[in-house]
Amino acid sequence: MDSVISLASVSRRYPRGVIALRDASLDVPPGQFVAVMGATGSGKSTLLHCAAGLDRPSGGRVRLAGHDITRMKEARRTRLRRDHAGFVFQAYNLLSELTVRQNVELPVRLGGPRNRTVDEVLAQVGLAGFGKRPVGELSGGQRQRVAIARALVTAPAAVFADEPTGALDPTTGARILALLRAAADRDGAAVLMVTHDPVAAAWADRLVLLRDGVVAHDGPVPDATEIADRLRGVTAVSA
Amino acid sequence: MIVRQALKRNPWAFLGPATTETLAAALVTLGLCGVASLDGAPLTAAQRAAMAADGTADIGVLFLVVSIYLSILVVGVTIGTAIADQGRDLALFRTVGATPWRVRRAIAVQAAIVAIPATVAGVPLGLLLGRAWVHGLVGHGLVPAEVTFRIHGGTVPIAFAVTIGTSLLGALIAAIRPSRLRPAMALTEAAMPGKRPGRIRTPMGLLLVFGGIALAILISDADAQTADNTGLFVMLAMCFGVGMLGPVLLRLASPLGRLFGAAGRIAADNVVARRRSLSGALVPLTLAIGFAVFTIVIGATTEHVTGVAQSAADRWLTYAGTGTYCAFAAIAAVNTLITVIRARRRDLAVMRLVGGTQGHTLRVVICEALVVTATALVAGAVVAATVLLPLLHTALGTWRPWVPAPFLVGSILGTAALVLAGLALPAAVMLRQPPIEVVG
Repeated sequence: MDSVISLASVSRRYPRGVIALRDASLDVPPGQFVAVMGATGSGKSTLLHCAAGLDRPSGGRVRLAGHDITRMKEARRTRLRRDHAGFVFQAYNLLSELTVRQNVELPVRLGGPRNRTVDEVLAQVGLAGFGKRPVGELSGGQRQRVAIARALVTAPAAVFADEPTGALDPTTGARILALLRAAADRDGAAVLMVTHDPVAAAWADRLVLLRDGVVAHDGPVPDATEIADRLRGVTAVSA
Repeated sequence: MIVRQALKRNPWAFLGPATTETLAAALVTLGLCGVASLDGAPLTAAQRAAMAADGTADIGVLFLVVSIYLSILVVGVTIGTAIADQGRDLALFRTVGATPWRVRRAIAVQAAIVAIPATVAGVPLGLLLGRAWVHGLVGHGLVPAEVTFRIHGGTVPIAFAVTIGTSLLGALIAAIRPSRLRPAMALTEAAMPGKRPGRIRTPMGLLLVFGGIALAILISDADAQTADNTGLFVMLAMCFGVGMLGPVLLRLASPLGRLFGAAGRIAADNVVARRRSLSGALVPLTLAIGFAVFTIVIGATTEHVTGVAQSAADRWLTYAGTGTYCAFAAIAAVNTLITVIRARRRDLAVMRLVGGTQGHTLRVVICEALVVTATALVAGAVVAATVLLPLLHTALGTWRPWVPAPFLVGSILGTAALVLAGLALPAAVMLRQPPIEVVG
């Protein structure tokens, strides 16, 4: 099957000569959960931003849900993201003044496809009945579940998660990871997650390790202890 | 340390208070010069008696008093908005051990740091305006030619007292909430300001508005001059009341946004969620609209009913005064709106991350601006009508004001332009930055 997320020899140079990503290639088919790890500054977030169309690569090609977004205009890229991608961030990035329902509905209100009902996704993330609560009143774990519900309401082909458990305790984090796992298994979404945490990475199907902007390892996920060893392998030199 | 963080992190937030304080200092200086020029002129007793009789003797004092009131209102609102913007930082300082008093002191220092250069810039501006004003008074034959421009001896201390005083007062009132919060609560609270219902605010707003209406009815029996002068203060009190009722009014007006489709529905939710900070802009907007409507409509109705046109001199006097007040209030409104929208950079970025294009996000902001415009227009019209109708009835025996159509259209378009300049223009600039850079 065609990959949902596809990067071919992508590089990203920043002004002043910093190279965040060089010649990185990655294809994620539907239903696959990929964890991207690496030291701070290894290019993990840049990879995610390029794959999701939040950033424009300096070289190579990026495809999202079958569309080439490498040179796409900003407005079209945004609409594509709205219709085919969901986002989960470490800092939740919710509109804290609005209610749970208003937040989850936001992509639809902005014109995205209403593929699933708000109640359905809220039930899926275990927040049935929370719709009228202001987001500001919720705990961190609950806020992250609202973010996942918002990411899933359009039934996107791809879900991008940037350190989704970074601010959460292990138990709450596990709940979030189970939801991402379900998005891949049940909904068939391609899930691309950036993380520091070997335990979080162990929930994925596939592990990609980055070192200095280069893909240093790409393979099936071993157990958490071995992930930690491998991570040390790529971080020790560059750190 | 707190002061440094506040001033460095968002220097633009202080643009509002700095601008309004400069203008406030200029207005107060202008009023003082007017008083000094009229009082100090070598006039004969007969000339003075004539001026006292037609009310021109008091114009300096009247202008000064209104300027001081306006300054208190407008500077208080803008500095309050700027301080409210720092909620999260203040919470952080409380968490790492700053006592409530330390936070308050830091806020007071910020207010003073902004007020001093603003006043230094405002006084010379006021002297220039004062010179032009006295020139205009003499040129239009409103005062005898012996009146020359004089600088009031107390200009500098009085201007400083007004700007620093109001700015401190406004800042400290705005600081009550963030400085009082328990540190543990402070960080979570900061994420959702304006949660508490206005248990004091709303009744006080109602009191001011209905008090203003009652007073307007009372003074409708007084002689024209007293009624005219008191009317100004009724208007100021009611505008302040409108500011207090702002959150309630915006909530009532928010369904309007839903008329504008999907973007409008998001805008309506945003207006309700942000009703507290947006109502800071309602005070100066209502003031500007109220003053303009009052002056124009009273002139037009008098002309319409009596068939006698206002003399050029009187027209100059009223329009110069009203024009100055309106410009002051309008500038303050735009500044407050800029502070409000800048505080929402992150929200706008989040909207774009989840799939709002630049155009879409901007449409949401424009819809919010239209809701604010409509609220301000209605509030301003009500305030002006409250002061205006009893006056018209006493002076002309009519309850029907005459509103020239070009003025009606002009004031609607003018208000919309002000609100769009304060909200949509800065939003359009902010939206140019990639959202991922904003949310980090």
